[in-house]
Amino acid sequence: MKPYIRRTTIGIFAGALSSPALTYAIRNPVLAFLCGIFLGALYAASLRSARSAYAENLMTGAALGIPLWGLISVVAIPVSAGQMPGWNAEGMREHLPALVAWVLYGALFGLIYQAFSDLATARWGPEAKVSVAVPSPSTRVVILGGGFAGMKTAQCLEKEFQKDISVHITLVSETNALLFTPMLAEVAGSSLEPSHISTPLRSSLHRTEFVRGRVEGIDLAKRCVLLEGVASPDGTSESRQISYDQLVLALGSVPNYLGMPNVERRAFNFKTLLDAIRIRNHVIEMFELADREPDASRRAPLLTFVIAGGGFAGVELAGALNDFAHGILADYPNLNRDEVRVVLIHARDCILPELSESLGRYAQAKMEERGVQFRLNARVSDAHPGIVVLQDEEIPSETLVWTAGTTPSTIIKALNVEKDKRGAVKVDANLSVSGRPGLWALGDCAAITDAKSGKPCPPTAQFALREAATLASNLAAHVAGQPSKGFHFDSMGALCVIGHQTACAELTVSFVRTRAIRFSGLFAWLMWRGIYLSKLPGLERKIRVLFDWTVELFFPRDIVQTIDLK
Amino acid sequence: MNGSNGTPKSQSTPSPKTFLWIEPCIAVFVGGGCLMLGHTQLAATPGQGFIFGALLGLLFWCGFGKRANSPGAGLIWGLGFAALVWLLIPAGLLPLVNKTQRSMSTLSGARSHFPELVAYLVLLGMPLGLTLGIFGDFRRSGVKREFHWARAIVVGGFAGTLSGLVFSRWMYEGEFYPLLAGLPQLNSQFEMVGFHFLVALLIGASFGLLFQTDVRGLGSSMGWGLGFAIFCWFFGPLTLFPLLSGAGVDWSADQGTALFGSLVGHIIYGLILGVIYAAIDRTWLKLFVQSDPLNREPEGPGVNVLRSLGWGALAGLAGGLAAGPVLLATGVLPKLAGFGNGFPGVRGFLIHLTVSALIGMMYGLLFRNEGSSLSVGVPWGCVFGLIWWYVGPMTVVPLILTGVADWSANAASALLPSIIGHLLYGAATATVFLLLEHRYERWLLLDPRNTLREQRRMRPVGTPAPALWFFALAMGVLLPVLLG
Repeated sequence: MKPYIRRTTIGIFAGALSSPALTYAIRNPVLAFLCGIFLGALYAASLRSARSAYAENLMTGAALGIPLWGLISVVAIPVSAGQMPGWNAEGMREHLPALVAWVLYGALFGLIYQAFSDLATARWGPEAKVSVAVPSPSTRVVILGGGFAGMKTAQCLEKEFQKDISVHITLVSETNALLFTPMLAEVAGSSLEPSHISTPLRSSLHRTEFVRGRVEGIDLAKRCVLLEGVASPDGTSESRQISYDQLVLALGSVPNYLGMPNVERRAFNFKTLLDAIRIRNHVIEMFELADREPDASRRAPLLTFVIAGGGFAGVELAGALNDFAHGILADYPNLNRDEVRVVLIHARDCILPELSESLGRYAQAKMEERGVQFRLNARVSDAHPGIVVLQDEEIPSETLVWTAGTTPSTIIKALNVEKDKRGAVKVDANLSVSGRPGLWALGDCAAITDAKSGKPCPPTAQFALREAATLASNLAAHVAGQPSKGFHFDSMGALCVIGHQTACAELTVSFVRTRAIRFSGLFAWLMWRGIYLSKLPGLERKIRVLFDWTVELFFPRDIVQTIDLK
Repeated sequence: MNGSNGTPKSQSTPSPKTFLWIEPCIAVFVGGGCLMLGHTQLAATPGQGFIFGALLGLLFWCGFGKRANSPGAGLIWGLGFAALVWLLIPAGLLPLVNKTQRSMSTLSGARSHFPELVAYLVLLGMPLGLTLGIFGDFRRSGVKREFHWARAIVVGGFAGTLSGLVFSRWMYEGEFYPLLAGLPQLNSQFEMVGFHFLVALLIGASFGLLFQTDVRGLGSSMGWGLGFAIFCWFFGPLTLFPLLSGAGVDWSADQGTALFGSLVGHIIYGLILGVIYAAIDRTWLKLFVQSDPLNREPEGPGVNVLRSLGWGALAGLAGGLAAGPVLLATGVLPKLAGFGNGFPGVRGFLIHLTVSALIGMMYGLLFRNEGSSLSVGVPWGCVFGLIWWYVGPMTVVPLILTGVADWSANAASALLPSIIGHLLYGAATATVFLLLEHRYERWLLLDPRNTLREQRRMRPVGTPAPALWFFALAMGVLLPVLLG
């Protein structure tokens, strides 16, 4: 028998047996009986059964008799008789005998309910617990990738399916934390602690199985995902297979070196937390080496930092490294300010193509004021030790950071599905892969077209988050056999920090004729910090980042090397 | 609850054989002896008093003996038992069967039972509960029970003294010492103030010693503060202080009416004591116990607090809607909003809803760790509603409107109609809050970490909370009715 039915039945009997006490409060015996039964059933349904809790139920019942007295005897009965409630002092004193009846009813009910409950336990055994033993799930949803897209999809699916244990959700990710990439440049620039911008996936998810591992391959025919094996002490490793009914591809992107192996070998990536930590430690290492190098010509490549790519990532990194490199000069008295160079290489004539040209020009001017050098309409063509080669120039530098292009993950490349020229998986308006039932894709690895405007959606976190919500909703609808909806999202704008307390912002506002409002300088920077702090997942992380920012106002940036680069 | 919260690991344990015989004997002798002492209040002979007391003592041991496993738990069970016995037997059933007994339906009849109430509480509930509680503590000495004497005395004493400051304005004017009511005036104001703080410190320290293992969060601590304060009023101004001053005990309803202001003072003091005690105690736990990674909760406090505030606001709105008609009909609503009659109609009702939502947020903040089911949450909600009747219409609203809080029995009598609205508000707020919480948690409980947290929230069988609910609600509602 279901617990609620059992409890309610017992409550009805206990209420009926206790109801004679109510006849003193409710003069009509039939009404008293019905009232006793109704209240008994209601109370019993809300109880959590425990054995031999006579004293507790006696007192709880008696206690609840007091508000019931006020509600029914003092208010409801006079009102139903067309009289004013007797809730002045005199009126309430007149009702005191009824209070005794209510308390007696409550106390009796508590005792009788417990006795019946114990009898039922002795006769039929304890209440059947709400099934915790999970039957094998009928739908297995596997999400590949723990970035914004994957994590948000898992969270939305948890909300969609809630208690439905017939759907099992698994998230596979190479890292066990969600990296908040908008703040990654600040980690490289040593103004934020690395772990403060990462949120553990396990803590953020409640009913999703998390598997940390690298995806080796996807077998679309067998509907399973192959994970790279974990090496055992004897040197062998065994791959793990995860079967799926619904597969969500949220594998993101990897750097695209455009077929330049030397560049790939020598350049730093700027995608992961480890990349940012490496860059920061490398910069400090360069300063340490330069500090003990007496020859100025040999110091030059050590103190020149080249960033390829003038998009958001490259510009923010250039701004952060410029501040960091100039800020730590105080600790290296042998080095001259003029020797430190941060060079940004961009293939077009204006940086920040994601923003309007005026903001791009503003950003360039501000960054030049702060010492950043630009090589516009230029491309990196090769890299050698101590030299970054452009088409018509060689820059002596030991540091090259690559932010000039990305391509979908290698797993996607190997997948036999339709792709666009970037290599991203083509999806329908509802984010499912056409011709591949149960396959979905979103984020950087997917080529998505807006269902309303027909324009391609940019591979940004802002879009990935909205895509995740739509995908989860569509996947749930698909499982329930309901129709899905197309993806549509109007960008809310973009923000970019270009240096100390300076930023550019372009916000899309539907009621403005030009549909965009531009901000720059300190206000935009405050806006950037406010918006991204609010977007950073987890209150604890917000507090930590806020604390880091506050410390940075009063103390110089840390130059402790945390990893060995040798 | 686990040990991390300072509560017992286990509430019941097989009794050693010796206690099986000693405890009922003690219950019989304590119950009998004490009611024999108070036989005059019961209109009985000493022998009748002894027999009646012995029977009640035995009854208490049978029903609640195992629950009285610490002095604090014993005291609360004892007080709840005594109040229930008084309400059902001399005040309730005896007048029905014996027509010479006066019914409670008239003012004089109800007031004539007041001395019996004091006698039951002070001479039956308190000694029985405390004695069996002390023995219960010995009985389960083998069970690991995390009790910290220093924490109880230091935190309780500090909270008690700090709470005593709430009356400083009146004490400074030399007018009113609520905690010392019943004592004759001492020689100087300095002595009075000193004695006031001594009493406040003693009440605070005893609060810590008695209830450290029961108090869980700010809300339940306020509930315990309310119950303990009401008991202290019965024990101090009505009993002990007259005895100390040699004036003789006067348990008449007239004396109760005269000391009604002190009762409200005690209640306000008890609520503040409860909040301060819990705040310091929780901070202590947070710093030295829960900061231990072994005791961490899966979700941080910040997330829980924000969520509880949101649910509390919604629940408070629902409570305001439920109680609105009652408060409107009794003419209390505009006053509740704190603006006199200046905002009638829709605006007044909107203000009432806003205030309701704010108070609901407070409920969410205070009681978020208490109710795990409706049968637990609703009584706490009613206690919260009652607390707001004493804090709101009785204290804060008059202070805002006139600068003076009128704690007289007449003022309480005039405000009686709204007490039902407040109980309704509390019950509705608690119900909606729990429904919102359950809606969120029902699927989160698939996460084993949250399941463990939910289990820790549930008070085990044996908790004195039900006795506290009954005692606080019965006394909190009945005393203004009887003495007003």
